[in-house]
Amino acid sequence: MKSCSCRRCRGARTVFSLTPEPISATAREVPSAGGFVSFEGKVRDHAGGRQVLRLEYEAFDELAVSEGELLCQEAMQRFRLLDVRVIHRTGRLEIGETAVLIQVAAAHRKAAFEGCEWLIDELKKRVPIWKKEFYADGDSGWVAVEPVAPIDERFYERQLRLPEVGEAGQQRLREARVLLVGVGGLASGSLPYLAAAGIGTIGLVDDDVVDVSNLHRQILYRAQDEGKIKVERAAEFAKRLNPTINITTIPYKLSKININELVEQFDWVVDGTDSLEVKFLLNAACKRLRKPFTTASVHRFEGQILTVMPDGPCLQCLFPETPPDACVGTCAEEGVLGLTPGLFGILQANEVLKGLLGYGEVLSQELMLFDLRTGESQRLARQKREYCPACQGDYKMPSNDLEVATLEEAQAKLGEFRLVDVRESDELPRLKVKHEVSPLSRFTWEPSETPTVFICAHGVRSYQVASQCRAQGISNAYSLAGGVLNPSFKEPV
Amino acid sequence: MKIKVRYFAVLRDRRGVGEELIETDVRTVRELVESLIRQHSLGLPPSLIRAAVNGSFANDGDKLSDGDEVVLLPPVSGG
Ligand SMILES: [Zn+2]
Repeated sequence: MKSCSCRRCRGARTVFSLTPEPISATAREVPSAGGFVSFEGKVRDHAGGRQVLRLEYEAFDELAVSEGELLCQEAMQRFRLLDVRVIHRTGRLEIGETAVLIQVAAAHRKAAFEGCEWLIDELKKRVPIWKKEFYADGDSGWVAVEPVAPIDERFYERQLRLPEVGEAGQQRLREARVLLVGVGGLASGSLPYLAAAGIGTIGLVDDDVVDVSNLHRQILYRAQDEGKIKVERAAEFAKRLNPTINITTIPYKLSKININELVEQFDWVVDGTDSLEVKFLLNAACKRLRKPFTTASVHRFEGQILTVMPDGPCLQCLFPETPPDACVGTCAEEGVLGLTPGLFGILQANEVLKGLLGYGEVLSQELMLFDLRTGESQRLARQKREYCPACQGDYKMPSNDLEVATLEEAQAKLGEFRLVDVRESDELPRLKVKHEVSPLSRFTWEPSETPTVFICAHGVRSYQVASQCRAQGISNAYSLAGGVLNPSFKEPV
Repeated sequence: MKIKVRYFAVLRDRRGVGEELIETDVRTVRELVESLIRQHSLGLPPSLIRAAVNGSFANDGDKLSDGDEVVLLPPVSGG
């Protein structure tokens, strides 16, 4: 049984909890209470004229519990209740099983009756718990416990009027399965519109949690979501917007191991990550499994977007050598305006809808650039490369001879080496191991016979310096991948 | 010959301008990219900079002509 464990709630008498087990509880004793009211909501065998066989409840656990607790506290105050307990089931329930139990205690019976009725009404409206009904005709569907407004054909009315959509188009959207990899700034643009348009199944992959520094661009989240699992919050956002669609959440990092299995289950893959490595990995997997793939990337006020179709030119046709993540900064290091990824996310959703509905042409032979400062856009024609590892199906993870993974590896590979810190002098933590300092802003480093390993905060500036050395013909310059702030960074003792 | 060069993303930051008209005697796309890397400390190996000439992505060995417009594109990762 899960319940809110914050300090405020632990001592209080209000308890809202979720449980996958059958509910059985007796009322708690409250000596000062004269009225005890208990309500049980049970699974009935019909809904909307259809015969129901069983139910499944799904809740966004943490949010359901925190909103449920707030609701209980509000009830305590409103009706001067002395005790409140709410237990809601999750998982599979058979006909006749108890789905929700509400117990309240008050000094007098009137307040207890009123408080209990108010609680069940508000709970259905406010607490994010979803119900999947399994019907006798073999069908099933997720429904909000009680959507504020019933979802009907009016939801899609305005887009159904477009000849490019119509009933047939809407059905294609309903049947479509779209995978969003990375639920950050780009997905904040794509997910709302894909959900609202009625994409039947949307998969969300991300292993990250919400950080306050995400909020200026990742508008799927609210300030109170800090520390919460992104895919769960994003799924909740989408289901609130359109309760008729299916959302699958995958709170893991996409890797070589799980990528094929995931991509296989979907019809279209949308890349919303900020990792070049993942972008190229996805590109190769989508090529191999013949799934359309839309990728976009942003930088400050500008971005680029392209779609890879099964027989068209791919991302690797454009960049044959998989670039290491350090070769350019990410949003974290470079800074970005919040609406830049949002706009490119919307353009990504447009690619998916174009592809599914057939209006216009997807950017399958081009790359589109757009600059938010000038409003200038440019489309550059792309071609297939004769030998492309991703198109030929023998993609390998990138390796490059410019980066060393650790200082130990540098030692083993290079023997004696010079370590040069190119960070500015106020950047912390400073290194303890023997090193030279040459901040990038006033770079004064003289090459020598001894190999040099450059080091910075994230491995971006050091990559830039090492790469520049190579361009000037200095072949023994290297960059420490990930930099000082990489969690696995260790100084030799 | 004169060539118009446009820089994108991190290349624009490192070059300090979005576009410029240059006078050069390089012959191929690769030579242009290499010379700009050396001249402006663009901090990327030439293999990671893609060039589009007059609206189409070009190959390293493609010849440049007077009046060409070249867009230089680094990998972009932000999302
Ligand atoms: Zn390819």
